[in-house]
Amino acid sequence: MAEHENIKQTANIGSRLLMGARERRLRLIGSRIGHTVLIAIASSSLVALLFIFYFIIRDAVPFFRAEGFREFFLSTGWYPSRENPEFGALAIFLGSALVTLGAVAFSVPVGVMASLCLSDILPFSIRQVVKPVIEMLAAIPSVVYGFFALIVFAPALQQKGGSILAAGAMIVLVPLAAIAVIVAGDLICNYIAKKNDRAVRAAVTAGLALSAVFILYRIYGVIDGLRIESGTNALNASVILGIMALPTIVSVSEDALNSAGRELREGSYALGATRAETLVKVVMPAAKSGIVAAVILGVMRAIGETMVVWMASGNAARIPSPWFNLLEPVRTLTATIAGDMGEADHVTGSARYHVLFAMAASLLAIAFISNLISEIMVRKSRKGA
Amino acid sequence: MEIGTRKILDRSFSSVGMFAIVLMAVSLVILLQPVIIRGFGAFAFRGTVEFREMMLDRFGRGDENGIRKETAEAELARRPVYELVEVFESELMDADPDFKTKYRSEFRDLKVRLEELLGPRVRDSDKALPRKCYGQTRWDRAGKKLHDVLYIESYDYSDPSKMGTRIFSPRADYFKGTSLEPLFDILERDIEGMMKPRPTLYWRFFFDESIDSHFFGGIWPEMLGTFYLSLGAMLFAIPFGIITAIYLAEYSGTGRFVSLLRTCISSLAGVPSIVFGLFGLAFFINTVHVSDSKSVLAGSLTLALLILPTIIRASEEAIIAVPRGYKEASMSVGASKWHTIIAVILPAAMPGILTSMIISLGRAAGETAPIIFTAAVSVGKPLGLLQVFNQPTPALPWNIYNLATEHEAVDEIRHIQYGMVFTLVLMVLMLNLAAILIRARITKRLRG
Amino acid sequence: MRSFIKFTAIIAALAMWAALMPGVAAAGETIVIDGSTTVGPIAKAMAEYYMSLHNDVNITVSESGSGNGAKSIVNGTCDIADMSRFMKPSEFSAAVEKGRMPVAHVVAVDGIAMIVHPSNPVKGLTVEQVRGIYTGSINNWKEIGGPDVAIVRITRDTNSGTYETFESLVMNKEKIHDSAEYVGSNGAIRQRVQSTPAAIGYVGLGFVDRSVNALEIDGIVPDRNTVSSGKYPIARPLFMFTNGYPELGSHLHAFITLYLTPRGQEIIEEIGFIPVTNYQK
Repeated sequence: MAEHENIKQTANIGSRLLMGARERRLRLIGSRIGHTVLIAIASSSLVALLFIFYFIIRDAVPFFRAEGFREFFLSTGWYPSRENPEFGALAIFLGSALVTLGAVAFSVPVGVMASLCLSDILPFSIRQVVKPVIEMLAAIPSVVYGFFALIVFAPALQQKGGSILAAGAMIVLVPLAAIAVIVAGDLICNYIAKKNDRAVRAAVTAGLALSAVFILYRIYGVIDGLRIESGTNALNASVILGIMALPTIVSVSEDALNSAGRELREGSYALGATRAETLVKVVMPAAKSGIVAAVILGVMRAIGETMVVWMASGNAARIPSPWFNLLEPVRTLTATIAGDMGEADHVTGSARYHVLFAMAASLLAIAFISNLISEIMVRKSRKGA
Repeated sequence: MEIGTRKILDRSFSSVGMFAIVLMAVSLVILLQPVIIRGFGAFAFRGTVEFREMMLDRFGRGDENGIRKETAEAELARRPVYELVEVFESELMDADPDFKTKYRSEFRDLKVRLEELLGPRVRDSDKALPRKCYGQTRWDRAGKKLHDVLYIESYDYSDPSKMGTRIFSPRADYFKGTSLEPLFDILERDIEGMMKPRPTLYWRFFFDESIDSHFFGGIWPEMLGTFYLSLGAMLFAIPFGIITAIYLAEYSGTGRFVSLLRTCISSLAGVPSIVFGLFGLAFFINTVHVSDSKSVLAGSLTLALLILPTIIRASEEAIIAVPRGYKEASMSVGASKWHTIIAVILPAAMPGILTSMIISLGRAAGETAPIIFTAAVSVGKPLGLLQVFNQPTPALPWNIYNLATEHEAVDEIRHIQYGMVFTLVLMVLMLNLAAILIRARITKRLRG
Repeated sequence: MRSFIKFTAIIAALAMWAALMPGVAAAGETIVIDGSTTVGPIAKAMAEYYMSLHNDVNITVSESGSGNGAKSIVNGTCDIADMSRFMKPSEFSAAVEKGRMPVAHVVAVDGIAMIVHPSNPVKGLTVEQVRGIYTGSINNWKEIGGPDVAIVRITRDTNSGTYETFESLVMNKEKIHDSAEYVGSNGAIRQRVQSTPAAIGYVGLGFVDRSVNALEIDGIVPDRNTVSSGKYPIARPLFMFTNGYPELGSHLHAFITLYLTPRGQEIIEEIGFIPVTNYQK
């Protein structure tokens, strides 16, 4: 004990020499004050969030009070400027959902595959090249994406929509078909001939491949014949939003995959699993919650985006028929807010003004809830690691 | 499953992964390629004599004698065209009614198109709109207008079951047998002499103000506005961001408050940008009245909120990455915690924090939705430093949107739009490149 | 470390330099204009013209919508509000309550032209037919003398003054069919129509060019004479509102009366609107 005291004294000797007791007390008070100020400043983002919630909801409440919830959420009649205005936002909600769904359908498979590739497959040197590509995709401003969608992509879709779609479908389907042929060939061979007969294998695989090529050719023909009436539609917005959401998905799920740990992988390799098997059956389940979080963040990016959907989605406030028809124009929440704000009656604070805040509040609620979920998921994945 | 099949599957899995990465790279290339190529065309193009004349008139640039001489030469080359037009005009006056009805409207159309190509004949008839004072300033656009002069666009509606089909018939055929016929040959042959195209590098595109709603001139007010907005956002966000990061990294434990704070920060990052815009309007302008109406200040504050989470996260990472030993060494010689942070940890984390600053600068520069209601206007002068507190400004992202959708002559000024997009992308990518380079140095240093 | 400090210092220095450079020249009066996207081109062209004459005046033009313009004049946050419709009574009384007296200046007249693709053989419609198309009772061009092609209806976004005018002058309180495609601006409508053979849309006369065909309505071609004489049925005045009549001799006064001068009228005509003095011709 005495010895310990002694060491401490020696260690503090420098500061002891420099300041007296009073000074030390002042310093203590100072640090207390400093700490309080620090906490106050650090809470600024909390305050900002509270203020955002307060100011958006404050202006949203009068709408619900006057018009109720029923019409807003259940009707599709969006006629805000008529004498008897209608504020049915169902079609607009569905438009947001459809565009987001389309974006996710494109970006989740690509993003997750890319992150697997980055975390486990590519050598370090190539990874160093790929990372900046992802960063550049993330850095390009949304208005540039929107400009591209409106000026380059929309006319292209309108003129050669079928061919573009067909090429896109082939890009997805050909690798899938190849894998399916390999797997199916293997299964069939195992079923008919237990022995490893090369000739049978080759024949079966060739037969499957031929029929796959035939089916793909027919699919190509059908899609190639499609005509797209309007280049500014849900598909256009979806594809562009998908590209925009990619960097988020890739980086978050790559983090999750990395934190799944080396031991897990080594254990799996030791049992004789191939890399693909390890990744699909061991690593991905372990990193599941992180990947889900990545997907949620990607979805949020797509829902919250304004400029691209404003410029590229066609802005028709109705449900496409059938509802999943990506080739029809749709209208989204963000584009409605951006577009309608100018014409709404700020002065008298009419329903037309408040309905936009009601939409913003809905967006805010969606964003907040999905963020909470992703937060929980990320924590889970960290704990699991 | 067969071991061979498993191997093939493994390979194909890897190649699908690679393919995903290639797909990302390809989409980046597809996206950037038109922006870069056509964006370049905004300031590097073949300028005609009209362009040099416009620059001399409006900006007082160029060698006056040389340009006057050139104009005179072009005038000389154009004279036969104008003479033919005059002859035909007088013929038309005295012609019989049939002749008149046949040619009058097409002749009027021809004159309009000629003026679009070559500009008004009498130069000193000063028109209110500069766009009407000059012919085509760019050789590529002159080519399109020449086509309009040489060919009549019409539609064949003979098949009532279908939409009409477009036909281009040579105007020369229409005027066959009249005194106007040789005009088209002369025009086609001598157009270079009339326009005198020459490779032009208009680097002042970035530093000129716009003339006549972006028909001529450059994009300086927009660039400056973007610059003010993003820099202002940084100024507001940096102190808050770094202090919060310090708190999170060095002072906080793992208590309730801290986890609440972290949730708030990530939620703030997830708020849609358009909601930030609405909030900026409702709070900074309508409630706090930082300015009467839209202003750079209000826009910067809104953008600051938007980039705050990015700065906090990246700075926190940078601070945590500072080796533990630095801190322990400083504490062990008796420095206080605060002093340690200021004198040891922050400088060590500075490159990382700088990276976060640069990236969020790029983010703030490119955001459109938050500034629609708080800062951006379509037309305005470049602002002085003191005007940012109460005046709105044009800004690149908003004006790209505005020019691409709202301008009355969207197609005529496509090159300006591409030029703006190019500039914005260049600004943002340069900032990111700087960040990447800095980060590369950090990793090198930490390793070495 | 030192190099980073240097780097930061250089950036900061550059920033200051760039920021101060125009600061020398910029000073003087400001005129803030806010409001309609339809009146926007007039305001922009006049602003640039005026600024080229008076170097010490900075005129900013926002194109955010007529409603926003009205709000700005009520709250006193702009000097001129562009509006493609007249102020609503509610807006007017709100302004008066706040001690502001909006004064309307009719700067130009605008005809709304129905436009189709030039390959469309249909050259004219009646107002009833247009209404039929937009309510959904006419769905194919062959019903109105065209080929057998389904009609693609394009309309301006509900947030625009043009939409409200179209709604009141053509639609006669009937709802626009929900298959109509909403487009954000005049320019965008023209673009949609010129790229879609089966489309019909409506734009301000100023946005009609050779790439689209403007239809005759009730047998009347929309042009300067028919619109200004009131023969063309879908036409409306365009407004600029000021708070009270501007002080005589001020820049604001000079600017707001620009539309009365020959120069101003030339500008208005050049960008495709109809100067107001010709209304009685």
